[in-house]
Amino acid sequence: MSEEKPYRRLESQDLLQQIAFRHGLEAMAASEEGRLAWVTSGFPVEIPLAMDVFPTYPEQAGAIIGASKIGPEVCGFGEDLGYSQELCSYARSSIGSTDRPEDVSMGALPTPQALLACNNICGTVLKWYDAISEMTGAPVHLLDTPPLEGEQLPHHRAYVRRGVDRLVEFLADTFNTRLEDEEATRVANLSSQAIRLWTKVLETCVNKPSPLNCADRFLTMAPVVSSRGMEHCVEFYEALLAEVEGRVKEGIGAIRNEKTRLLWDNIPPWFILRFFNQLAARGVVFPADTYTHAWSGAVEGSDTASILDGVSEVYSDVYLNKGLEAKVDKMCELIKDYDLDGFVMFSVRSCKRYSLGQLVSKEMVTERTGVPGVVIEGDMVDSRLFSEAQVQTRVDALLEMFV
Amino acid sequence: MSEGSFGIGIDVGSTTTKGVLIDSSEKVLASHLQNTGASAPKAVEQLLVQLSTQSGINPRDCRIIATGYGRSIVELAYKTVTEITCHSVGVHSLNSEIRLLIDVGGQDSKVIRIGQNGRPEDFELNDKCSAGTGRFLEVMARVLEVSMDELGPLALKSKSPSTISSTCTVFAESEVIGRIGSGESASDIAAGVHLSMASKIGSLSKRVGVASPVGVTGGVALNPAFRHYLSKHLGQELWIPERPQLTGALGAAIIALRGQKE
Repeated sequence: MSEEKPYRRLESQDLLQQIAFRHGLEAMAASEEGRLAWVTSGFPVEIPLAMDVFPTYPEQAGAIIGASKIGPEVCGFGEDLGYSQELCSYARSSIGSTDRPEDVSMGALPTPQALLACNNICGTVLKWYDAISEMTGAPVHLLDTPPLEGEQLPHHRAYVRRGVDRLVEFLADTFNTRLEDEEATRVANLSSQAIRLWTKVLETCVNKPSPLNCADRFLTMAPVVSSRGMEHCVEFYEALLAEVEGRVKEGIGAIRNEKTRLLWDNIPPWFILRFFNQLAARGVVFPADTYTHAWSGAVEGSDTASILDGVSEVYSDVYLNKGLEAKVDKMCELIKDYDLDGFVMFSVRSCKRYSLGQLVSKEMVTERTGVPGVVIEGDMVDSRLFSEAQVQTRVDALLEMFV
Repeated sequence: MSEGSFGIGIDVGSTTTKGVLIDSSEKVLASHLQNTGASAPKAVEQLLVQLSTQSGINPRDCRIIATGYGRSIVELAYKTVTEITCHSVGVHSLNSEIRLLIDVGGQDSKVIRIGQNGRPEDFELNDKCSAGTGRFLEVMARVLEVSMDELGPLALKSKSPSTISSTCTVFAESEVIGRIGSGESASDIAAGVHLSMASKIGSLSKRVGVASPVGVTGGVALNPAFRHYLSKHLGQELWIPERPQLTGALGAAIIALRGQKE
């Protein structure tokens, strides 16, 4: 019996599940040992890791809650506490699941001893972590990375570097630990190895057919977000790279009949990843997206001082911390490099930082690349904000332009 | 009768279901419009009976293309095509000069830039809320106690339109009730309602880029006050087809026919 699906499953997914399971167990153990920190996705996780503080990610937990289709319910727990429906659904589901962990089947995180927020992805994270702090008693530490417009200037770098030093001091005081040269170098080295492997994985998608589709990357990005700096993360990306390079060598695509190549912009709607598989059945593949390409900066350095300098540069220079022009440049670059026919911009109600300016950037990208795009609306976790019929019409109309 | 002689387009909209049957020269042999009501499949069934009665042609002998929000429920459809493409093709067949099409239906409003070949080049739709759609006018007509047919002419009597600043239908309804409470005339309020809607759709049009000549379709195109204020907002003369609600179904019928010829 061979039920031919329009897309191909990655063998590395089994390894991915093991890693996720292991990460969950390690987080629980760390919480019991009093060394668990919740961190934001753009946080320089190399530092807590090198100081024996274990990181776990509420945003990833939000993605799991979304994918488990319990987003509206868990966001509702947060709304019951008085939080607005306009608040980010990662924040609402995180606050909701912290308030009522027993009512959340998937995605509630173990109790943290510290909350580490970096505002290079948005400003909401600070208030969100403040709320969690009130509920759990864990202190919040903010690493402030002011937005970058163009090159990072010396005073900007010096300011962030001072913040990174303060982070080291905070962790040392809170967890009674130290940042040693040897451990800092080891973790930074593992982290940059993982980032480099991940970048290579992404770049294989320039091939036709593309060996990975959007949904594949949204799943396999998990370790680079949650475990960069750990050995098993490097092992995972070595295995994944081998698998995708194998696909490329044999001319095997992520989907069986690639006809149209599109760019995806923004966080995906986690509750309806089948959206990508349904499009796969019509020959549509997404060889690139702005989201998974955001984890691309490798922290290099041969001693603690140079590593902390690297952290100050790399974590200031992230996609969401830059201006509209940089976002447009990135999209145009991906469309050109990956030879894409068009683009889909997901306007995420929760993520103002990501979605702001999309209408303008849509025009600019079309003007510069000559390819058409469409903006669809919704949310990454809260499926109440997603109207499937309306999204379908917009995407179908875009596809009809290629006929 | 050979396969390929006729094409049927069915446009299942949120408010009305439309159908057009054309012959091989793209001449309309039958057309019908009725309320979609609570059951879209039933509306489609009744529509097909109407098309058959008018033309004497069995719909099963024709290729059918379905469009509109309910397009996926048309069982006899050969395939579905979005209303964005169908409206472009339909309007292009009636007036190939039109470069920008504004279609205002019951549930959404679309602005489409039509290429020389009659296919859409770019488009924008209103967001999920019903402001700027036919539904907005229905709600306001109810508050003002006039029928939909009376609403436009009532508005055109106004010399000093009220200001309706809310873009959300629900808030605008409260605002209209507030205006009634403060003694403003029904015609001024009606004018304010149309002005607000025209400015919302005008902005959507500017996002796509206003290219002349501009065509307007959909049920709301029949409303003279909407046309008046939109034309003023855009600084453009507007072209309106004789039956602006049927252009989507017409486009679908043309696609059905051309698909068979290819």
